[in-house]
Amino acid sequence: MATFHLTISSVGQTHFDGEARSATFPGADGEFTILPKHEPFISTLSSGTIIVRPENGETQEFSNDNGVLECSSNKVVVLL
Amino acid sequence: MANLKSIKSKILSYKKTGTVTHAMEAVSAVKMRKSQERALSMRPYARAALRMLGSVSGSIDALRHPLTQERTAGKVGIIIITSDKGLAGSLNSAVMRKTEQFILEANLSSNELAFFCLGKRGYEFALRRGFEVMHQHTNISDGIDEIEFHKITDKVIELQMSGALREVRVAYTDFRSTFEQQAAMHKILPLSQKIMEYIVKEIPPDRGKYAEMAEEINGVQSYTIEPEPEAVLAALLPKLVNVAIFHKLLESKASEHSARMVAMKNATDKAREMTQSLTRTFNKVRQAAITREVSEITSGIEAMR
Repeated sequence: MATFHLTISSVGQTHFDGEARSATFPGADGEFTILPKHEPFISTLSSGTIIVRPENGETQEFSNDNGVLECSSNKVVVLL
Repeated sequence: MANLKSIKSKILSYKKTGTVTHAMEAVSAVKMRKSQERALSMRPYARAALRMLGSVSGSIDALRHPLTQERTAGKVGIIIITSDKGLAGSLNSAVMRKTEQFILEANLSSNELAFFCLGKRGYEFALRRGFEVMHQHTNISDGIDEIEFHKITDKVIELQMSGALREVRVAYTDFRSTFEQQAAMHKILPLSQKIMEYIVKEIPPDRGKYAEMAEEINGVQSYTIEPEPEAVLAALLPKLVNVAIFHKLLESKASEHSARMVAMKNATDKAREMTQSLTRTFNKVRQAAITREVSEITSGIEAMR
């Protein structure tokens, strides 16, 4: 199954770092989901919940307040 | 000559002090390593933030954002990062000296200055000099979480945005290596490309265990930006400021621990030295006492003949 690399980190710590099948984010213009091989993309996130479906294991949720998302070459970085 | 009993008790107390300082040395060594690792873990974050910034705007010098604008009105904010406790050599006094030097060179009067104090020593310093303290935070734990930390940076950012501050500088201790720390003062606001690049570059130390992690910042790609570049910037810039200040705090923490480690090592060595020389004195005194006694006895025998 296709996956992409997802990193969710805040200044002091990394909350998630690994392969994911998909992830749903609270975007500034509404919720959106990122799947593998997404185009290069930068967006702000509004407050809400980030839902990550990792390659292995259970769905994880992270609360987000004022994050920024960057997606390039199948890597997604979220800065909280 | 001092009596045997008092020398003995002195030796004992030196030994005890040595044990304590030795323990403190070990504790500081562990704490230093932890702070160093933590400071380093921020590097990917800072790099990602800078990369995004580069993708959005090319260079931040061209930006029109309150955090990047040069101003002439307003106060100069100084964030002074010191330790809460002493026993760390000249660490804190060096930071204070650096601050004073800057104030003198920039020819600023005390009503042009605003202090943000992280750590008790810096706070006491600002109070003693009669500077305005806008924020203070003492007893910062090594594992300070960012929510707590955001309170400080949010305030700084807010004041800079509103124009109450024209620039912000940080006085802290730069961690070069375990045996070398240096007080430093850096401008962090208003942001410029140079400052940003510097923030990311300086994260790994010059020498030592983590030095090899230094690397170049990679190039720019073209992105779809949503909703619009300005909104992304507005979210990104405060994050970068936050990273910069937080990193300096961790760097100061690492410096504090390593300075304390070295200070405690010196104390331990000194205690050992003192114990040795006192033991020698003790033996001499004891020997003298024995000799005296023997000669008293023999002279007593001589007299009886």
